[in-house]
Amino acid sequence: MSTLVIGPLARVEGHGGITVEFEGDTVKDIRFDVPEGARLLEPLVRGKRYDEVAPILSRICAICSVAHTLTSLKATEDAFGIKISPQTELLRELMTRGESIESHALHVFLLALPDYLNYPSATALAADKPAAVTLGLRLKKLGNQIQETLGGRAVHPVNAVVGGFGRVPTFEQIITLRSSLMQAVADCDAMIDLVASLPATDFCHSDTLYAALRSPHLDTYYSGDEVMLLSDGNRAIVSAPDYRTFTNEKSLEHSHSKHSTFRGSPFMVGALARLTVNPRRLTGRLAVAMKRLKLVLPADNPMDNNKAQALELLNDVDRALDIIEQLLRDGLKDERPVPVHPRSGTGTGITEAPRGLLVHSYTYDDGGRIVSADVITPTAMNAASLELHLRRAVEQCGERDDTIIAKRLQMIARAYDPCISCSVHLVRRA
Amino acid sequence: MSKPTVGIFGLAGCSGDQLVILNCEDRLLDIVALVEIRDFLTASSQNDTACPLDVALVEGAVASRHDAERLQAIRARSKVLVALGTCAVWGGVAAMDRGLDRKKLLQEVYGETEWEYDSVPTQAVREVVPVDLNITGCPIEKEHFLAALAAVLNGDVPLYPQYPVCTECRMRENNCLLVERGELCCGPVTAAGCDARCPELRVPCVGCRGPARDANPSSMLAVFEAKGFTREQIAERLKTFAPEGVTA
Repeated sequence: MSTLVIGPLARVEGHGGITVEFEGDTVKDIRFDVPEGARLLEPLVRGKRYDEVAPILSRICAICSVAHTLTSLKATEDAFGIKISPQTELLRELMTRGESIESHALHVFLLALPDYLNYPSATALAADKPAAVTLGLRLKKLGNQIQETLGGRAVHPVNAVVGGFGRVPTFEQIITLRSSLMQAVADCDAMIDLVASLPATDFCHSDTLYAALRSPHLDTYYSGDEVMLLSDGNRAIVSAPDYRTFTNEKSLEHSHSKHSTFRGSPFMVGALARLTVNPRRLTGRLAVAMKRLKLVLPADNPMDNNKAQALELLNDVDRALDIIEQLLRDGLKDERPVPVHPRSGTGTGITEAPRGLLVHSYTYDDGGRIVSADVITPTAMNAASLELHLRRAVEQCGERDDTIIAKRLQMIARAYDPCISCSVHLVRRA
Repeated sequence: MSKPTVGIFGLAGCSGDQLVILNCEDRLLDIVALVEIRDFLTASSQNDTACPLDVALVEGAVASRHDAERLQAIRARSKVLVALGTCAVWGGVAAMDRGLDRKKLLQEVYGETEWEYDSVPTQAVREVVPVDLNITGCPIEKEHFLAALAAVLNGDVPLYPQYPVCTECRMRENNCLLVERGELCCGPVTAAGCDARCPELRVPCVGCRGPARDANPSSMLAVFEAKGFTREQIAERLKTFAPEGVTA
């Protein structure tokens, strides 16, 4: 038996690694390892009042802090029976678009792109191809501008509170956002050109079960309460309160993580899953760009998640503009948050974080304090699927060559865009 | 003169402070022109993990023996060590574990396991190794990072406000959430530097920057109590981001 240890993984958020155990040339075991200190925020939030919960649990992850904040608010509002206004819903959806633009630009340009062009980092790449890197930075900045305008801060938003917003952005702020978004339309085309020009990554094929929030509208990250799992034409729908039927987490010694499976099968969440589960989204400019990227759905190659992120980024810019048009048409109102009347009970919020499905579920006492909290992050959901795809890639590599295997496995792990801080459940064994 | 060498590291945290660095989109390429970033795992797959460093920027808290070992190794190779963000400076939200049974907390998250996890009570960076500069904030302010970088490059030390958020809030002429609306706002005892971001948005300060050195806790306590808050309620809030917020 021999072991191939890859890591620590660079250009991912947090600390992770991959261990492959071979028996001869056959893979005996493959693990996604995480030497990241556990912060145990779920039990630590117990006893906290409803207005403290989102600010604390947003700290699970910076890149997904809008998603954690909004999912937390959704869970709390569900528990208390609070109905938010249509304007709040639109503003929250706009916030998620900002987060997705920032996160996807960061991942596609700064973390994944260097792999395709054989550079160690985006800054090294910038020395030879400054236009590609500055394009990514411009898009990333646009995402942050949206997050700052709506949330008051790009990382860990403060303005989204239970029932609404502390202060609704002004008409002038929204107009400024619109002009930045319009300038980004051409940048999105340039991004698609760039991604279309990248070398093919054809080293991992696998049947994949995809899971994503089912959109009640054309497409959404924030609204909706049903998850659809889709594979080979088979579909299953799970509603928010039943989320445990697909997360079904298990602590495992060998994998160092709690893994999620649906009826025993690993599933993939994230950009590729969202495009697959909600094909109605694939219209207009998005459909044209998809053809340019030669992306066919359902995909059998996890590397396509990078293409899916680029497509979503383009779509996010278009959708953000649509939302702004609607806000301006309806007239922005300086609404105050809906009054909160705490009551005992359980509430669940499910949204799409940039990396995929995110669940927060809380039980409150009648004074509005947390009795128990459960948070299930996209990276935790993806861990089992990632290990499956890593295994397939090694199996499909042909003759064993550790250098090639190491490079491919790192690219696949990166394509999943793992957010290790997010995986509150992943810890290393002593 | 050769460029100063820099390493950027994350311990247990959310990577928010590293993200703030990456969020300096307009300055990022200038920064890499001024300093030589030798070790930055989040952004590069080619790192020198042993070279001496002029400046190490460390975010996150120590939550495992592995974190402590990494931190000691970083300290040993660095001339200047900067603690970046509230977790590094104060312990952050994970330090709410103070006084609680860590074993029980682990069990609650992972259930009964036959194996033991590498997990220790949360500590701030300065509780493990000496720190040369603390930049607080959850996350840090972009401008504070850039000011620190400029100062270090010029052999200077940056100065950050020691007064509380209230000072900045009054300068922005906001209505007082505590006095006028009776909300539990941590502004009076929390370090400024955020330009009173939250109260400006009518949202009470949650104390994410940790305690202010030049606050007047005893007189503030009286104000809080006059508004009907108990000492326990106040202490509970203040220790959310910094366990020492409560010692005052």
